Amino acid sequence: MRELLKVQNLKTNFYTYEGIVRALDGIDLDVKEGKTLGIVGETGCGKSVTALSILRLILPPGKIESGKVLFWYKGELSVDLLSKDEVFLRRVRGNEISMIFQEASSALNPVYSVGEQISESFLLHQKRELYKAIIEEIEKNMREDNFFLKNFVYRFHKRIYKKMLENSKSLRIRFISLLPLINRYKVWLKKEVSRRVVDILTKLGVPDPQRIMERYPHELSGGMQQRIVIAIALACNPRLLIADEPTSNLDVTIQAQILDLIRRLKENLGLSILFITHDLGVVAELCDYVAVMYAGNICELAEVRKIFKNPSHPYTKALMNSVPTLEEKKLESIRGNVPNLISPPEGCRFHPRCDYATEICARVKPDMVEVEDNHWVSCHNFLRG
Amino acid sequence: MKSYIIRRVLLVIPVLFGVSIIIFAILSLFSPEQRAATFITDVRQLRDIQGVIRKHHLDAPIYMQYFSWIKEVLKGNLGWSKTASRPVLEAFFYFLPNTVELSLFSAPFIILIGIYLGSTAAVHQDKSVDHITRAIAIIGWSLPTFWFGLLLLMIFYGYFKGLFPPESLGLNSSLYVNSKDFMRFTRINTIDALLNREWWIFVDALRHLVLPVITLTVVQCALVMRIMRSSMLEVLGRGYVITARAKGADEKTVIKKHVRRNAMIPVITVSGYLFAGLMNGVVITETIFNRKGLGWWWWRAAVQLDIPAILGAVLFNGVLFVLTNLVIDLLYAYIDPRIRLG
Repeated sequence: MRELLKVQNLKTNFYTYEGIVRALDGIDLDVKEGKTLGIVGETGCGKSVTALSILRLILPPGKIESGKVLFWYKGELSVDLLSKDEVFLRRVRGNEISMIFQEASSALNPVYSVGEQISESFLLHQKRELYKAIIEEIEKNMREDNFFLKNFVYRFHKRIYKKMLENSKSLRIRFISLLPLINRYKVWLKKEVSRRVVDILTKLGVPDPQRIMERYPHELSGGMQQRIVIAIALACNPRLLIADEPTSNLDVTIQAQILDLIRRLKENLGLSILFITHDLGVVAELCDYVAVMYAGNICELAEVRKIFKNPSHPYTKALMNSVPTLEEKKLESIRGNVPNLISPPEGCRFHPRCDYATEICARVKPDMVEVEDNHWVSCHNFLRG
Repeated sequence: MKSYIIRRVLLVIPVLFGVSIIIFAILSLFSPEQRAATFITDVRQLRDIQGVIRKHHLDAPIYMQYFSWIKEVLKGNLGWSKTASRPVLEAFFYFLPNTVELSLFSAPFIILIGIYLGSTAAVHQDKSVDHITRAIAIIGWSLPTFWFGLLLLMIFYGYFKGLFPPESLGLNSSLYVNSKDFMRFTRINTIDALLNREWWIFVDALRHLVLPVITLTVVQCALVMRIMRSSMLEVLGRGYVITARAKGADEKTVIKKHVRRNAMIPVITVSGYLFAGLMNGVVITETIFNRKGLGWWWWRAAVQLDIPAILGAVLFNGVLFVLTNLVIDLLYAYIDPRIRLG
């Protein structure tokens, strides 16, 4: 199985007025090609910060302190996204790694139509492909329609697109694009892009895509908005999709539809997904691997079946016990509260709430141990064997 | 969109009716004798005030009075302004061009500089650029207009020997402008000078505009800047900005395309009212620089208790604000699709 993304010892802090919030305290993750890794954890444990840190989208006062995000770019060599410059990252964002967000309604810009927002992805990453397709289209039209005046226009447009293929920012093109009538060549680009938008919407099972793409976000339902967000993310065929609680604000039926859509995409496109959620049921259904997060740390990482059969970390166990099941059983809650990340507990961050805590837990931060094949736990109880 | 525009324009009619009622109510506070002053243009009429009252139905029932008053207003008869020694409407059109000229020149500066400073400050939040622009804005906002205007006059008219003089035109050019050789198309000096292709008059008019425009810009642009900054900061934290970044858009596109357009909405409101405020005469600026515009006239009317002129001012302000609101609402709909349906 080939590696796709490897996060090593990622640390992210937020410098607030109250103090330094240590949101991520050394995260290690692995996403294999074509597999889905789920990150579970309660609100505020750093799931979203992990996602944003991978794409280096953390804004001040947040800052990525240290660590590595290795990404197998174009499937060849691994590059560290954290050490690359902005220009390289922009080529990765939306093109190689895409992201979908918690609240679709706020993830869409209210003043642009849905079609415009999806086509922005194409225009950002696939200009060359678009120009090539347009040149072919123009050539096809020339063959079919050889009325000499029209032919003349076609030839002119073809020359412009060839020029843009060489250098899209040349001064001459920029000048021409300002002239009325002569800049009619832009119609080709518009047509080609909207054809692709319709394509991707159809692929995502959006009914009547021609009509939907003219719509503005506020005119669409929540489920439809989430589909549009997914369309934006998948427009350029990324290899990794980071889904940050994509279903948490939807009705249960719509949730099922969106999850179904994601599963189909995963199967059909061979997409690798980093799926962030607080819902263990969704994890069981969708993911191949699970990472359980607590207060900025990964406490358990395993194949999905193993973690449900044999939860090892005390936090994972407690989490499983607090999920309602069909059997009539008293639901248990985890005592205590989520720690304040400005002054997190020393040692293992879970020890104040842990039933199995010993003296060493309050002093030393535990390392990851492999308890069985592909099942890692960071807990002193296993370290001592 | 079309139905929104039609609805919005039709809505102006009841609002204007309301405005007329309020102004008439103000007018009705005066006794019939006081109101008769509106119609007195000659001292000899004073002998028969009762005759004037009867002639203009000033003692009729109030609704009859309203109809006869609104009829006169619609005909353009707003009474006689003793400060301008001519009918109010004529005086209004005599003073309007100077004010329009000043507003047309200062509004773009105020709005564009305000927007630019505000968005720069927001993009570099809490950095030195932000602190400096905010400090400048606060200082400008706190400067008293009359003091700052006089200071500018002292420097650029006194110290630099008439580099940027007050008033709206110099002696030579104002003589020429009022002569027969000069066609008055709009009565706005700069535009007329351009249309007549008299470059020296154009330059002269511009020189007279520099100081009032600087005064207004420095004092007023703080408001636009502050609003642009806070609204940019709000939008910068929205989800769609992260979406745009996650798409791979560069910072320039993110700011220009995704942030600025959304942040413009409150700025448009303020800019609209700001322009309306400039149009109904910046009283102090016009007085300090002795530009004979609406503000200058209304200041004198207020001092000399020239009631018809003041009521004309109120009427003009009312209509102006209604129209400004109309334009602002139409601009909203252009920028924000959510409003078109509402």
